[in-house]
Amino acid sequence: MRRARILTGAGLVLALGFCGTGAWTYAQARTDDTLAYGRERDEALADGRAAVAVLTTLDASTRQRAERGVRAWRAVSTGPLREELGRAGAESGASARGTVTEAAVTALDPRTGTAKLIATVRVEVTSAGSSRPAVDRKRLEAVLARTGEAEWKVRALSAVPLTAAEEGEDR
Amino acid sequence: MTGRTAEPATEAADDDGGELLAGTRGTSRRGLRRLLLVGTAAVLVLGGCGFLHAAHRLNSAPSAENRALTDTEATARVAGEVGNALARVFSYTPDGTAAAERSARTVLDGRAARQYDVLFDRVRGDVAEQRVTLSTRAVRTGVVELDGDRARLLVFLDQTSRRGTDAATTAPAQLTVTARLRDDRWRIVDITAR
Repeated sequence: MRRARILTGAGLVLALGFCGTGAWTYAQARTDDTLAYGRERDEALADGRAAVAVLTTLDASTRQRAERGVRAWRAVSTGPLREELGRAGAESGASARGTVTEAAVTALDPRTGTAKLIATVRVEVTSAGSSRPAVDRKRLEAVLARTGEAEWKVRALSAVPLTAAEEGEDR
Repeated sequence: MTGRTAEPATEAADDDGGELLAGTRGTSRRGLRRLLLVGTAAVLVLGGCGFLHAAHRLNSAPSAENRALTDTEATARVAGEVGNALARVFSYTPDGTAAAERSARTVLDGRAARQYDVLFDRVRGDVAEQRVTLSTRAVRTGVVELDGDRARLLVFLDQTSRRGTDAATTAPAQLTVTARLRDDRWRIVDITAR
Protein backbone atom coordinates (compact mmCIF):
# COMPACT_ATOMS: atom_id res chain seq x y z
CA MET A 1 0.00 0.00 0.00
CA ARG A 2 2.62 2.49 1.09
CA ARG A 3 4.96 1.38 -1.67
CA ALA A 4 2.22 1.98 -4.23
CA ARG A 5 1.67 5.45 -2.84
CA ILE A 6 5.37 6.26 -2.96
CA LEU A 7 5.49 5.00 -6.53
CA THR A 8 2.50 7.14 -7.55
CA GLY A 9 4.00 10.16 -5.83
CA ALA A 10 7.35 9.63 -7.53
CA GLY A 11 5.60 9.17 -10.88
CA LEU A 12 3.68 12.39 -10.41
CA VAL A 13 6.82 14.30 -9.47
CA LEU A 14 8.60 12.89 -12.52
CA ALA A 15 5.70 13.85 -14.78
CA LEU A 16 5.65 17.34 -13.28
CA GLY A 17 9.41 17.64 -13.75
CA PHE A 18 9.14 16.49 -17.36
CA CYS A 19 6.39 18.99 -18.11
CA GLY A 20 8.37 21.76 -16.38
CA THR A 21 11.51 20.96 -18.38
CA GLY A 22 9.48 20.99 -21.57
CA ALA A 23 7.92 24.34 -20.73
CA TRP A 24 11.31 25.79 -19.85
CA THR A 25 12.91 24.55 -23.08
CA TYR A 26 10.03 26.02 -25.05
CA ALA A 27 10.27 29.35 -23.22
CA GLN A 28 14.02 29.44 -23.94
CA ALA A 29 13.47 28.82 -27.67
CA ARG A 30 10.60 31.30 -27.81
CA THR A 31 12.66 34.11 -26.29
CA ASP A 32 15.97 33.24 -27.96
CA ASP A 33 17.28 36.42 -29.64
CA THR A 34 19.13 34.60 -32.41
CA LEU A 35 16.07 32.54 -33.34
CA ALA A 36 13.87 35.64 -33.29
CA TYR A 37 16.42 37.47 -35.45
CA GLY A 38 16.42 34.61 -37.96
CA ARG A 39 12.63 34.67 -38.14
CA GLU A 40 12.64 38.45 -38.69
CA ARG A 41 15.23 38.08 -41.44
CA ASP A 42 13.15 35.51 -43.29
CA GLU A 43 9.97 37.58 -42.90
CA ALA A 44 11.76 40.68 -44.21
CA LEU A 45 13.14 38.67 -47.15
CA ALA A 46 9.77 37.16 -48.08
CA ASP A 47 7.83 40.44 -47.73
CA GLY A 48 10.61 42.41 -49.47
CA ARG A 49 10.78 39.99 -52.40
CA ALA A 50 7.03 40.13 -52.93
CA ALA A 51 6.98 43.93 -52.60
CA VAL A 52 9.80 44.42 -55.12
CA ALA A 53 7.96 42.19 -57.60
CA VAL A 54 4.80 44.28 -57.15
CA LEU A 55 6.71 47.56 -57.50
CA THR A 56 8.34 46.48 -60.78
CA THR A 57 5.03 45.33 -62.23
CA LEU A 58 2.32 47.45 -63.81
CA ASP A 59 -0.43 46.39 -66.13
CA ALA A 60 -1.24 49.60 -67.95
CA SER A 61 -3.25 48.14 -70.81
CA THR A 62 -6.23 50.20 -69.62
CA ARG A 63 -6.52 53.15 -67.30
CA GLN A 64 -8.48 51.19 -64.69
CA ARG A 65 -5.84 48.49 -64.58
CA ALA A 66 -3.11 51.09 -64.24
CA GLU A 67 -4.97 52.66 -61.31
CA ARG A 68 -5.29 49.26 -59.67
CA GLY A 69 -1.55 48.74 -60.20
CA VAL A 70 -0.69 52.03 -58.53
CA ARG A 71 -2.96 51.10 -55.60
CA ALA A 72 -1.03 47.81 -55.29
CA TRP A 73 2.21 49.81 -55.26
CA ARG A 74 0.91 51.96 -52.42
CA ALA A 75 -0.14 48.86 -50.48
CA VAL A 76 3.40 47.47 -50.34
CA SER A 77 5.21 50.77 -49.73
CA THR A 78 5.51 53.11 -46.80
CA GLY A 79 7.01 56.48 -45.87
CA PRO A 80 8.64 58.59 -48.60
CA LEU A 81 8.13 56.03 -51.38
CA ARG A 82 4.40 55.78 -50.62
CA GLU A 83 4.03 59.56 -50.74
CA GLU A 84 5.90 59.68 -54.01
CA LEU A 85 3.70 56.97 -55.51
CA GLY A 86 0.60 58.78 -54.27
CA ARG A 87 1.42 61.63 -56.62
CA ALA A 88 1.95 59.30 -59.57
CA GLY A 89 -0.88 59.54 -62.04
CA ALA A 90 -2.15 56.38 -63.67
CA GLU A 91 -2.34 56.38 -67.44
CA SER A 92 -2.49 53.59 -69.94
CA GLY A 93 0.72 52.90 -71.78
CA ALA A 94 3.58 50.45 -71.54
CA SER A 95 3.10 47.49 -69.18
CA ALA A 96 5.83 45.81 -67.17
CA ARG A 97 6.04 42.53 -65.35
CA GLY A 98 8.83 42.10 -62.82
CA THR A 99 10.06 38.79 -61.43
CA VAL A 100 12.56 38.71 -58.59
CA THR A 101 15.23 36.17 -59.61
CA GLU A 102 17.27 36.43 -56.41
CA ALA A 103 17.21 38.52 -53.27
CA ALA A 104 19.20 38.80 -50.06
CA VAL A 105 18.85 40.79 -46.85
CA THR A 106 22.07 42.73 -46.34
CA ALA A 107 21.26 44.46 -43.05
CA LEU A 108 18.63 44.02 -40.35
CA ASP A 109 17.88 45.88 -37.16
CA PRO A 110 14.91 44.23 -35.42
CA ARG A 111 14.88 46.87 -32.66
CA THR A 112 14.14 49.78 -34.99
CA GLY A 113 12.40 47.57 -37.54
CA THR A 114 14.56 48.49 -40.52
CA ALA A 115 16.23 46.29 -43.10
CA LYS A 116 18.09 46.53 -46.37
CA LEU A 117 17.60 44.15 -49.26
CA ILE A 118 19.29 43.67 -52.61
CA ALA A 119 17.48 41.97 -55.46
CA THR A 120 17.91 41.09 -59.10
CA VAL A 121 14.78 41.55 -61.15
CA ARG A 122 13.85 40.39 -64.63
CA VAL A 123 11.44 42.92 -66.12
CA GLU A 124 9.39 42.24 -69.25
CA VAL A 125 8.26 45.51 -70.78
CA THR A 126 5.46 45.46 -73.34
CA SER A 127 4.79 48.76 -75.04
CA ALA A 128 1.19 49.61 -75.89
CA GLY A 129 1.49 48.78 -79.59
CA SER A 130 3.71 45.73 -79.73
CA SER A 131 2.95 42.25 -78.48
CA ARG A 132 6.50 41.08 -77.97
CA PRO A 133 7.98 42.05 -74.61
CA ALA A 134 11.48 43.43 -74.18
CA VAL A 135 13.40 41.81 -71.34
CA ASP A 136 15.49 43.91 -69.02
CA ARG A 137 17.51 42.83 -66.02
CA LYS A 138 17.81 45.20 -63.09
CA ARG A 139 19.71 45.19 -59.84
CA LEU A 140 17.90 46.98 -57.08
CA GLU A 141 18.41 47.95 -53.49
CA ALA A 142 15.46 48.45 -51.17
CA VAL A 143 15.15 49.93 -47.71
CA LEU A 144 12.46 48.11 -45.74
CA ALA A 145 10.56 49.19 -42.66
CA ARG A 146 8.47 47.03 -40.38
CA THR A 147 5.04 48.57 -40.10
CA GLY A 148 2.62 48.23 -37.19
CA GLU A 149 1.07 45.06 -38.55
CA ALA A 150 4.41 43.19 -38.31
CA GLU A 151 4.68 43.45 -42.07
CA TRP A 152 7.71 44.70 -43.95
CA LYS A 153 7.13 47.43 -46.50
CA VAL A 154 9.41 49.27 -48.88
CA ARG A 155 10.53 52.76 -47.82
CA ALA A 156 12.90 53.36 -50.70
CA LEU A 157 13.76 51.53 -53.90
CA SER A 158 16.62 52.39 -56.20
CA ALA A 159 18.83 50.85 -58.84
CA VAL A 160 22.37 50.07 -57.69
CA PRO A 161 24.43 52.43 -59.90
CA LEU A 162 27.68 51.66 -61.62
CA THR A 163 30.56 53.13 -59.70
CA ALA A 164 33.09 55.10 -61.70
CA ALA A 165 36.30 53.14 -62.08
CA GLU A 166 38.84 54.21 -59.52
CA GLU A 167 42.11 55.63 -60.68
CA GLY A 168 44.80 53.02 -61.05
CA GLU A 169 42.41 50.11 -60.77
CA ASP A 170 41.73 49.93 -64.47
CA ARG A 171 45.35 50.25 -65.42
CA MET B 1 -4.91 10.41 3.01
CA THR B 2 -4.63 8.19 6.05
CA GLY B 3 -7.77 9.78 7.55
CA ARG B 4 -9.83 8.84 4.59
CA THR B 5 -8.64 5.26 4.32
CA ALA B 6 -9.37 4.76 8.01
CA GLU B 7 -13.01 5.61 7.43
CA PRO B 8 -14.19 2.43 5.70
CA ALA B 9 -12.30 0.39 8.28
CA THR B 10 -14.38 1.82 11.19
CA GLU B 11 -17.55 1.39 9.18
CA ALA B 12 -16.66 -2.23 8.66
CA ALA B 13 -16.06 -2.69 12.41
CA ASP B 14 -19.48 -1.22 13.26
CA ASP B 15 -21.40 -3.48 10.96
CA ASP B 16 -20.14 -6.94 10.12
CA GLY B 17 -22.67 -7.39 7.31
CA GLY B 18 -21.53 -4.20 5.58
CA GLU B 19 -17.91 -5.32 5.42
CA LEU B 20 -18.13 -6.32 1.82
CA LEU B 21 -19.94 -3.14 0.83
CA ALA B 22 -17.54 -0.90 2.76
CA GLY B 23 -14.61 -2.71 1.20
CA THR B 24 -15.87 -2.13 -2.35
CA ARG B 25 -16.60 1.51 -1.52
CA GLY B 26 -13.02 1.87 -0.31
CA THR B 27 -11.54 0.32 -3.40
CA SER B 28 -13.75 2.31 -5.76
CA ARG B 29 -12.73 5.54 -4.05
CA ARG B 30 -9.10 4.43 -4.15
CA GLY B 31 -9.58 3.49 -7.81
CA LEU B 32 -11.03 6.89 -8.55
CA ARG B 33 -8.11 8.58 -6.84
CA ARG B 34 -5.66 6.39 -8.73
CA LEU B 35 -7.42 7.20 -11.99
CA LEU B 36 -7.16 10.90 -11.16
CA LEU B 37 -3.45 10.60 -10.39
CA VAL B 38 -2.74 8.61 -13.52
CA GLY B 39 -4.78 11.12 -15.51
CA THR B 40 -2.86 14.05 -14.07
CA ALA B 41 0.44 12.34 -14.77
CA ALA B 42 -0.62 11.57 -18.32
CA VAL B 43 -1.68 15.19 -18.90
CA LEU B 44 1.64 16.41 -17.50
CA VAL B 45 3.65 14.02 -19.69
CA LEU B 46 1.60 14.95 -22.75
CA GLY B 47 2.06 18.64 -21.97
CA GLY B 48 5.80 18.12 -21.61
CA CYS B 49 5.92 16.32 -24.94
CA GLY B 50 3.94 19.16 -26.51
CA PHE B 51 6.32 21.79 -25.17
CA LEU B 52 9.40 19.83 -26.25
CA HIS B 53 7.94 19.33 -29.71
CA ALA B 54 7.14 23.04 -30.08
CA ALA B 55 10.65 23.94 -28.86
CA HIS B 56 12.17 21.48 -31.34
CA ARG B 57 10.17 23.01 -34.16
CA LEU B 58 11.39 26.48 -33.24
CA ASN B 59 15.00 25.30 -32.97
CA SER B 60 15.06 23.35 -36.21
CA ALA B 61 12.99 25.74 -38.36
CA PRO B 62 14.67 26.76 -41.64
CA SER B 63 15.06 30.28 -40.26
CA ALA B 64 17.09 28.86 -37.35
CA GLU B 65 19.35 26.66 -39.49
CA ASN B 66 20.24 29.59 -41.74
CA ARG B 67 22.91 31.66 -39.98
CA ALA B 68 23.04 34.46 -42.56
CA LEU B 69 23.19 37.74 -40.58
CA THR B 70 22.43 35.99 -37.27
CA ASP B 71 26.09 34.98 -37.10
CA THR B 72 27.60 38.38 -37.91
CA GLU B 73 31.21 37.23 -37.93
CA ALA B 74 30.69 34.23 -40.23
CA THR B 75 28.45 36.28 -42.54
CA ALA B 76 31.00 39.08 -42.91
CA ARG B 77 33.74 36.51 -43.48
CA VAL B 78 32.03 34.58 -46.27
CA ALA B 79 30.86 37.82 -47.94
CA GLY B 80 34.38 39.27 -47.81
CA GLU B 81 36.14 36.13 -49.04
CA VAL B 82 33.71 35.51 -51.90
CA GLY B 83 33.75 39.19 -52.97
CA ASN B 84 37.55 39.23 -52.99
CA ALA B 85 37.74 35.92 -54.83
CA LEU B 86 35.44 37.15 -57.61
CA ALA B 87 37.38 40.40 -57.93
CA ARG B 88 40.65 38.48 -58.23
CA VAL B 89 39.58 35.85 -60.75
CA PHE B 90 37.76 38.33 -62.98
CA SER B 91 40.55 40.93 -63.06
CA TYR B 92 43.48 40.69 -65.43
CA THR B 93 45.89 42.64 -67.58
CA PRO B 94 47.00 41.62 -71.11
CA ASP B 95 50.27 40.21 -69.77
CA GLY B 96 49.01 39.06 -66.40
CA THR B 97 46.32 36.46 -67.07
CA ALA B 98 48.44 33.93 -65.20
CA ALA B 99 47.78 35.70 -61.90
CA ALA B 100 44.02 35.48 -62.38
CA GLU B 101 44.25 31.80 -63.34
CA ARG B 102 46.44 31.10 -60.32
CA SER B 103 43.86 32.76 -58.06
CA ALA B 104 41.15 30.73 -59.76
CA ARG B 105 42.90 27.49 -58.83
CA THR B 106 42.88 28.40 -55.16
CA VAL B 107 39.37 29.87 -54.86
CA LEU B 108 37.30 28.00 -57.45
CA ASP B 109 36.23 24.40 -57.23
CA GLY B 110 33.85 21.96 -58.86
CA ARG B 111 31.54 23.28 -61.55
CA ALA B 112 32.73 26.89 -61.12
CA ALA B 113 36.33 25.84 -61.85
CA ARG B 114 35.27 24.00 -65.01
CA GLN B 115 33.14 26.94 -66.18
CA TYR B 116 36.07 29.27 -65.60
CA ASP B 117 38.52 27.10 -67.56
CA VAL B 118 36.17 26.98 -70.56
CA LEU B 119 35.67 30.74 -70.40
CA PHE B 120 39.34 31.51 -70.06
CA ASP B 121 40.40 29.22 -72.89
CA ARG B 122 38.09 31.25 -75.10
CA VAL B 123 39.31 34.71 -74.11
CA ARG B 124 43.02 34.07 -73.48
CA GLY B 125 44.02 34.69 -77.11
CA ASP B 126 41.91 37.85 -77.42
CA VAL B 127 43.21 39.26 -74.16
CA ALA B 128 46.84 39.25 -75.33
CA GLU B 129 46.04 40.21 -78.93
CA GLN B 130 43.63 43.03 -78.32
CA ARG B 131 45.34 44.21 -75.12
CA VAL B 132 42.25 43.74 -72.96
CA THR B 133 42.29 44.81 -69.36
CA LEU B 134 39.47 43.80 -67.03
CA SER B 135 38.95 44.95 -63.50
CA THR B 136 36.12 43.68 -61.33
CA ARG B 137 34.78 45.06 -58.06
CA ALA B 138 32.06 43.66 -55.82
CA VAL B 139 29.74 46.58 -55.05
CA ARG B 140 27.09 44.72 -53.02
CA THR B 141 27.24 41.31 -51.40
CA GLY B 142 24.29 39.68 -49.72
CA VAL B 143 24.33 36.31 -47.99
CA VAL B 144 21.10 34.46 -48.78
CA GLU B 145 21.93 31.25 -46.93
CA LEU B 146 24.68 30.25 -44.57
CA ASP B 147 24.57 26.77 -43.12
CA GLY B 148 27.79 25.53 -41.59
CA ASP B 149 30.08 24.83 -44.54
CA ARG B 150 27.67 25.89 -47.32
CA ALA B 151 26.66 29.36 -48.38
CA ARG B 152 24.68 31.00 -51.14
CA LEU B 153 25.33 34.64 -51.95
CA LEU B 154 24.05 37.30 -54.29
CA VAL B 155 26.85 39.52 -55.55
CA PHE B 156 26.61 42.69 -57.64
CA LEU B 157 29.76 43.35 -59.65
CA ASP B 158 31.02 46.29 -61.65
CA GLN B 159 33.36 45.25 -64.44
CA THR B 160 35.53 47.84 -66.12
CA SER B 161 37.16 46.72 -69.33
CA ARG B 162 39.46 48.45 -71.76
CA ARG B 163 40.62 47.37 -75.18
CA GLY B 164 44.03 48.73 -76.14
CA THR B 165 43.93 52.50 -75.82
CA ASP B 166 40.14 52.81 -76.08
CA ALA B 167 38.18 54.46 -73.30
CA ALA B 168 37.25 52.14 -70.46
CA THR B 169 33.67 50.94 -70.25
CA THR B 170 31.95 49.69 -67.12
CA ALA B 171 29.21 47.08 -67.14
CA PRO B 172 27.18 45.55 -64.32
CA ALA B 173 27.07 41.83 -63.55
CA GLN B 174 24.90 40.02 -61.03
CA LEU B 175 25.83 36.57 -59.82
CA THR B 176 24.41 33.97 -57.50
CA VAL B 177 27.37 32.19 -55.98
CA THR B 178 27.43 28.89 -54.10
CA ALA B 179 30.43 28.50 -51.82
CA ARG B 180 31.76 25.70 -49.66
CA LEU B 181 34.05 25.94 -46.68
CA ARG B 182 36.96 23.57 -47.23
CA ASP B 183 40.20 23.56 -45.25
CA ASP B 184 39.04 26.69 -43.43
CA ARG B 185 38.66 28.60 -46.66
CA TRP B 186 35.57 29.53 -48.66
CA ARG B 187 35.76 28.20 -52.19
CA ILE B 188 33.29 29.06 -54.95
CA VAL B 189 31.71 25.90 -56.39
CA ASP B 190 29.00 27.35 -58.62
CA ILE B 191 28.27 30.64 -60.36
CA THR B 192 24.97 31.58 -62.01
CA ALA B 193 24.36 34.88 -63.78
CA ARG B 194 21.18 36.67 -62.75
